[in-house]
Amino acid sequence: MTAARPIVEARGLWKRYGDVAAVDGIDFSVGEGELFGLLGPNGAGKTTTISMLACLIAPTSGTIVVDGHDCLTEPMAVKRTLGIVPQEVALYPTLSAAQNLAFWGRMYGLRGASLRSAVDEALELVGLAERAHERIERYSGGMKRRVNIAAGILHRPRVLLMDEPTVGIDPQSRNHILETVRRLNDDGVTVVYTSHYMEEVEALCDRVAIMDHGKIIASGTVRELSDLVGGLDVITVVADGASEADAAALKGCEGIAEADVSDDGLRLLAPRGGSALASVVRMLEGRGVRIRSLTVTEPDLESVFLHLTGKTLRD
Amino acid sequence: MGALLRIAAKDLAVLVRDKAAVLVMLAMPLGLVFILGSALGPSAGAGFDAKVAIVDLDSGPAGTRFVEGILAAEGLDEVFDIEVRSDVGEVRRDVSRGDLQAALVIPDGVSEAVAVGAPAVLEVLQDPGSQIAAGMWAGVARATASAASAEIVARRVVAQQALSRGTTPPVDLAPIVVSIEDTEVDTASRISAVGYYTAGMTGMFLLFGAMFGAFAFVRERREQTFMRMIAAPVPAWAIVGGKATGVLLATVGQFVVLLAGTSALFGVRWGAHPAAAVAVGVAESACAAGLAMVLAGIGTSERSIGAIAPAVIMLFAATGGAMLPVEALPAALRPLQVVSPVYWAVQGFLDVMRGASWAEVSTNVATLSGMAVVFLTFGIWRVSRR
Ligand SMILES: Nc1ncnc2c1ncn2[C@@H]1O[C@H](COP(=O)(O)OP(=O)(O)OP(=O)(O)O)[C@@H](O)[C@H]1O
Ligand SMILES: [Mg+2]
Repeated sequence: MTAARPIVEARGLWKRYGDVAAVDGIDFSVGEGELFGLLGPNGAGKTTTISMLACLIAPTSGTIVVDGHDCLTEPMAVKRTLGIVPQEVALYPTLSAAQNLAFWGRMYGLRGASLRSAVDEALELVGLAERAHERIERYSGGMKRRVNIAAGILHRPRVLLMDEPTVGIDPQSRNHILETVRRLNDDGVTVVYTSHYMEEVEALCDRVAIMDHGKIIASGTVRELSDLVGGLDVITVVADGASEADAAALKGCEGIAEADVSDDGLRLLAPRGGSALASVVRMLEGRGVRIRSLTVTEPDLESVFLHLTGKTLRD
Repeated sequence: MGALLRIAAKDLAVLVRDKAAVLVMLAMPLGLVFILGSALGPSAGAGFDAKVAIVDLDSGPAGTRFVEGILAAEGLDEVFDIEVRSDVGEVRRDVSRGDLQAALVIPDGVSEAVAVGAPAVLEVLQDPGSQIAAGMWAGVARATASAASAEIVARRVVAQQALSRGTTPPVDLAPIVVSIEDTEVDTASRISAVGYYTAGMTGMFLLFGAMFGAFAFVRERREQTFMRMIAAPVPAWAIVGGKATGVLLATVGQFVVLLAGTSALFGVRWGAHPAAAVAVGVAESACAAGLAMVLAGIGTSERSIGAIAPAVIMLFAATGGAMLPVEALPAALRPLQVVSPVYWAVQGFLDVMRGASWAEVSTNVATLSGMAVVFLTFGIWRVSRR
C-alpha cells in the first residue's frame, strides 16, 4: 500500500516535555490519497504527533516533510498544503457558522466569490447548510464538531489532519462525520485520522499505525495487523462486576494468551477460543462474576492492541 | 497585512456581540457621567449655570458698589445664574437644600469699616455638595473684594497726598470700578461637572478595551482558535498585530460613541477642535491596545486578567484625575500622574474642551503614543514568548 507517492513523511520524530517523551522516536509515511489511521489510547501521543505535522510545535528532534516541504524550513508552504481539524472545537461561539467559516477561509487566502462558494460547499458537505446563520453556541456538540470539520476542509487542502473528530458525540453525527471523511478521501484528499475507537479506524482507514506511550507499536493494513495476532481468537465477555483481578486470574489459566478489562466486561485472546470457553466460564463463576454473554470472533485491531500491550483500548 | 486586518475585524465582530463588553465600555461611562455630573453640577446641560446669590445687608455705598461690580462683570452671567436677594435666612436655607450652590453675603457695616480703614469681612455660603461651583463663586468674591480693596487703598493714597500737600481732597473721586478681568477664577473650572466627568470617564473607560482585548486573547488560547490561526499560513506577526489592531479599532469606536453620546445626551462641548479630541482619543486607544498585549502576556486566564486589569485601570484613573480633579490628590501621589495614561488623556480632553487645538495637546498625544509603544513592545514580547 505504500506504492503511492508519499506526501507526508516523518523520520525519527521525537518530542519531550521535561521527562515525558510524548512522542518517542516514530517513523511513518503517508501516501498521496491514502486514509491513514493513528490509533492509540489517551496520552499515546496522537495530538502531539498531529501538532508537529501541522508545524504547531517543533519536534525535539526528527524531520517532517509534507509534499516535499520541510516543516522546519518552509512552514508556510506546509501550512498551505494542510487542513486541520483539531481535537477541541476551535470556533468562535458567538459568531454564526457562516461567519466562522468565512473567517477561516480568509485565513487561507480565500476571497470574494470563491470564499462564498467554499463556505456554502463546506456547509453542504457537513449537512448544516440550513443552519448556516445560527450562532455556534446554539449548536449541539455533534453539530459543532461538523462545523469544526468544515473549517478544516474549506480551502480544499491536499492533506487533512483530523484529531479524534468524533470524540463524545451521538451516533448519528458520528456516522455523518465518517461518511464525510470517506467522501473527502474519495475526492483525493489524503487524510491522517487519529482515534482511540478501533472500530472507526478499522472501518475507515487503508493503513493504520498503533501508538502507545509515544511509540508506534505496529503499523500496516488492517489485514496485516490482524495477522499479527496470528491464530488467536478473541473472546468477548460481557459481564457485571469484572475487575482487574479477574483478568489477572484468567491470564494465569491454561489456554488463555491475554486478558484485560474492557468497557463492559473482559476481552481475552486464546489460541483456540472455542475450547477455552468452558474454563473461562468456570473461572469467572467461581469468582462471582455474572456473565451475560460470551462471543468468540476473529481478531480485530482491539485484539492486536491487547496482544501487543496486554491492555484493552478503553476510553 | 490583509490577514492582520481580517483578524482585527473578526475580533471586533466578536466584541460587539459581547454584552458585558458593550455594557462596560459604553453604558458604564455614559451612566457614570450622567450620575456624577448631575450629582456635582446643577444641570446636565451645556455650560455651567450654577445658581448663586448675593445678599447685601450693608446700608452704605460699599456694598452697593460691590453688588453692581459683580453684576456688571463681563462673562460671569455665562457661568453663573446670579440672584440678588435680601433675606439671608432664606438664602441660607436654599443653599443647604442645594437650590443654590453658593451665596455671597455682604454684612452690615462694611461701608463704615471701609470708611475708617478697618478690615471688612465678606461671607461666602457654600453647598459642600457643589464644591466646584461654590469654589468658583468664592473665587469671584475674593477677586472682586481684592479689586475693591485696591481701589480703596488707591483712594486713600490720593487723599493722603492731597492732605499732605495741604489741598482739599477731591470729593468726587472716580467711581469704583470692580473688575474681574484679571481675577483668579480658574478657567479650568469653567468646564461643567458633566464635562469634567466626560473627560474623566472617557479617559478611564477607554482603557477597559484593554481588558476585553486580553480576554479575547486568552479565550483564543483556551478554545484553540489561536492554534487554528497558527496552523493557517499566516505569519505570527499578523496574528499578534491583528489582535492589537482589533483592540485599537474597538477602542477608537468606543471613543467616537462616547464623544457623540456625551454631546448628544448631555450637551457636552468638546471644544472647537474635534480633531484634537480625536488625536488624544486615538493615542489613548493605542495605549489600550498595548495594555491588552501586556495583560495577555502576564495573565493566564480571564479570571486573573479580570482581577488585574480593573485594579491597574482604577489606579491609573485615580492618579490621573478621572475621578477627582488632580489638584485634590495628596501631594505624595502627584508624581505618579506622569506614568498614568489616564492623566495625559483626561488633561488632554479637558484642554480640548477649553478650546485647545491639535498643537496645544501635542504633548499629551506624544506622551500617550510613547506609552503605547512601550506597552506594545513589552506586551508583544511577553505574548510571543508563550
Ligand atoms: N504541552 C504539554 N506539556 C507537557 N506534557 C504534555 C504536553 N502535551 C502533551 N503532553 C503529554 O504528552 C503525552 C501525549 O499527549 P497527547 O495529547 O499527544 O496524547 P493523545 O494521544 O492525543 O491523547 P488523547 O487521546 O487523550 O487526546 C501525555 O502524557 C501528555 O500528558
Ligand atoms: Mg489527543
